[in-house]
Amino acid sequence: MAGIKTIIGLSFVLAIGFLLVILSAALFHSYLTLLVVATYVVAPLPNWICGRAANPDDFMESSGSGIIDLGRFLTGFFVVMGIALPTLLWHSAQIASGAAAMSVVGGLLIYGTIISFTMFFQEEQEF
Amino acid sequence: MSSHRLFRFPKPAWLTSANTRTFGVYTAGALFSLGFYLLIDIAVWSKSARNPSDPAVHITFVDWIPGICSALGMLVINSIDKSRLSADSFSYSGNGVAWKARLVLFLGFALLAGGLAGAVVVLVLKYVVTEYTWPTVWMGVGNVVANALIMLSSAVLWVAQNMEDEYTYNLAL
Repeated sequence: MAGIKTIIGLSFVLAIGFLLVILSAALFHSYLTLLVVATYVVAPLPNWICGRAANPDDFMESSGSGIIDLGRFLTGFFVVMGIALPTLLWHSAQIASGAAAMSVVGGLLIYGTIISFTMFFQEEQEF
Repeated sequence: MSSHRLFRFPKPAWLTSANTRTFGVYTAGALFSLGFYLLIDIAVWSKSARNPSDPAVHITFVDWIPGICSALGMLVINSIDKSRLSADSFSYSGNGVAWKARLVLFLGFALLAGGLAGAVVVLVLKYVVTEYTWPTVWMGVGNVVANALIMLSSAVLWVAQNMEDEYTYNLAL
């Protein structure tokens, strides 16, 4: 696996994502779309925290999986929030439709970068 | 397990796999998020410049009550440990645990159904009977859709958690 190329590619995608979100805020003089960045940065956190809190190897006591499920539930909540929030703001005439589309695409790029970076690192840790 | 099956077609294998369970929990979170932001959307839209109603019609606390009931019902239903529902058939857990679990579960389902019914009531009494036109009626329709989404999310989470029980049961055997 070409590690350097992957890292460079991921950082380019991350930069494009941030560019889209910041442009969507600055071009239309409405900085509400920056909330999308905060959403997608927070989105992977519940899985990490709840993954640490639970003990997945314990089969006799099933209370651990409840915490993992809570983390997954919150992750799904945050991912859809990143799409729903710009749509909501656009529907209520707070931001323009172009700003909404740009922030949704940029947010998805940022989140995709975070997720693929995590997967890449987990593959490294197994050795 | 397969010898006392009721139906002619076996349950497909992917239904009990751990991946389907994970996907179900993620889907439940996504559906709840959609419902929640639909509620926020009608509240924000009600105060925004897009609301053309004259005299002004706004979201009041009445519009929030069904959503609060639905969310509470979902919380109650999914915090119950599902294995306690049949706990009375085993000897080691007495004291009517299953009875209490069923009572709390009934309260949860009543809250959930009451939320959906309340949203329809608000739609009919506040927006349809008073003969508001389309963009104003959105505040009632969005409320109904949001409560239905929260109900759907709760159902998906319920099914996913029951899947997990069978999965761990097969592993424990």
